[in-house]
Amino acid sequence: MQLVCLGLNHETAPVEVRERFALSDSALDRETKSLVSYEHIEEGVVLSTCNRTEYYAVLNGGRGVEQLESWICEQRGYQGSREGIFYSYVARAAAEHLCRVASGMNSMVLGETEIFGQVKQAYKRALEGGATKTILNQLFQRAFGVGKKVRTQTSIQEGATSVAGASVELAEKVFGNLEGSSVLVIGAGEMSRQTAQALQSRGAASVIVTNRSYDKAVELAAEIGGRAVHFEGWEEELAQLDVVIAATGAPHFVVKAHHIEAVRRKRKFRPLIMVDIAVPRDIDPEVGQIEEVYLYDIDTLQERADEARKRRHEQLKLCEEIIREEINKARLPAVND
Amino acid sequence: MGMGIGWVVIATALAAAGCVFGVLVARAEKQGGNAFFWMLGAFGAQLMALGWRGELRGQCPLGDLGEVCLFLAWSLTLFYLVTGSTYRLSLLGVFTAPVVVILQGVSLLPGAFKAGVDKAVSVDPWREAHAALSVLSYGALGLAAVAGVMFFILDYRLKSHKIGGGLMQGMPSVSRLVTSMARIAVLGWVILTMGIGAGLLMVSGVFNLHLMVATITWVLYAVVLGVYHVRGLPGRQLAIGLTSLFVFSLLIFAKL
Repeated sequence: MQLVCLGLNHETAPVEVRERFALSDSALDRETKSLVSYEHIEEGVVLSTCNRTEYYAVLNGGRGVEQLESWICEQRGYQGSREGIFYSYVARAAAEHLCRVASGMNSMVLGETEIFGQVKQAYKRALEGGATKTILNQLFQRAFGVGKKVRTQTSIQEGATSVAGASVELAEKVFGNLEGSSVLVIGAGEMSRQTAQALQSRGAASVIVTNRSYDKAVELAAEIGGRAVHFEGWEEELAQLDVVIAATGAPHFVVKAHHIEAVRRKRKFRPLIMVDIAVPRDIDPEVGQIEEVYLYDIDTLQERADEARKRRHEQLKLCEEIIREEINKARLPAVND
Repeated sequence: MGMGIGWVVIATALAAAGCVFGVLVARAEKQGGNAFFWMLGAFGAQLMALGWRGELRGQCPLGDLGEVCLFLAWSLTLFYLVTGSTYRLSLLGVFTAPVVVILQGVSLLPGAFKAGVDKAVSVDPWREAHAALSVLSYGALGLAAVAGVMFFILDYRLKSHKIGGGLMQGMPSVSRLVTSMARIAVLGWVILTMGIGAGLLMVSGVFNLHLMVATITWVLYAVVLGVYHVRGLPGRQLAIGLTSLFVFSLLIFAKL
């Protein structure tokens, strides 16, 4: 019996190839079923996310990885060059790779957590479809344990690695909890959308969107479940806000100190976090001099995101050690034999 | 003085250990909280030390500098143990411990604990209540001041964008710190009110200088807290108010 992992991801294949091999939810079960019904394949799990498609299989005889690769290309109708597109791992290397994937060490955003759920889902569907037996069952269970251990015993998932995430982190440093907080988004571009959604995902209750072009504000507000206000009216909203995100294309400051000074009493001097992700800046730096205002610009946010990425990379060695140790302890069939 | 003074030494050592370990844990970017158990140990030792002095005096042990400092350190520790966990301010212990060490350090100075004190023949319960409640209130007000110092550090680092580091990891949020600071101060102010009330009922019935200063302090705290609750105050101004009032009152009482 030979344990094999064959796949392609964002590091090996361009998007036009990845999309060829990507499997929709409905196609995943069919693919797993076809995989295990193919000759010499005893067990199989197919994992398909936006950045990777991987086949974990237990082979019994045949031409091994080469045969599996041909079969996959045939299934997907792929006739292009295969050189450097696929990677493959056998036995222990395959087990270690799965652990890396489940731990987020192999993801585009190092340490991201979503992949863990995706691997679990892929395994669950294979299990329910009767495509797994002893070897893959033990391997995947072990990989989930290792994934949890890596995340709890290292800092691989700590810190925000995006500008939007860094904004949320800072807002939480000021408010602790964003449950029930009110957010004003000035500008209706992509960065505004991402940051507003990141804040919403942490509990922000109301999001108000304003933009010079009111239609765009309405569009973004509808998309994120917020409320649009005319650009001339955003100042009236200031009194009830906790977070202001500014990301317009204006060549001058949109928010000035006098805007905040005017509502300080009304706000009872509550803390206010202001995130300026525009270049040129939208918020006058003088606003940051107001006692209860915490102002951050794109450079600070980018710096924090870079630092978090660097810290995550520094954890890789420790993660590898945990994986090696856990695989050694596991005594998995077709891995440690 | 036998084991009596030994309890003060133990309490001081435990608080110092709480401070050192708390800082080490914070610097290692792990969640704080270790100071809690050291402070709990210190609290036990403080109780033993207060028991020793209370036994000697036959009344509330607030008769000399050593006892006042020890009682204040005990009160500060007590409020930290209660509020630190209630408001999940794990790093508060790291900031409280040095104050406790300093107060107990003063009480350990030669002569701070008077030797050969006379056992009280009769006790005025209102006088006892006044002294105990007043010092107890200063424990809470001292803790509010400690939270104020934490706020200065957090505010400075957030404002100057120095956000990384272990200390920042364990710090509570600005909102929580401001709320906790105000609540602890209100608690201290309520106890001080009771202390002053008890003072007015003392047998001697004299509105002495001591009681007058306590009343002025009470009024000043009432103004700061009143403005905060009614009109609102930026966190920094609240922190300045609470820390400066505490230091001011401590210095005044030390002079009296």
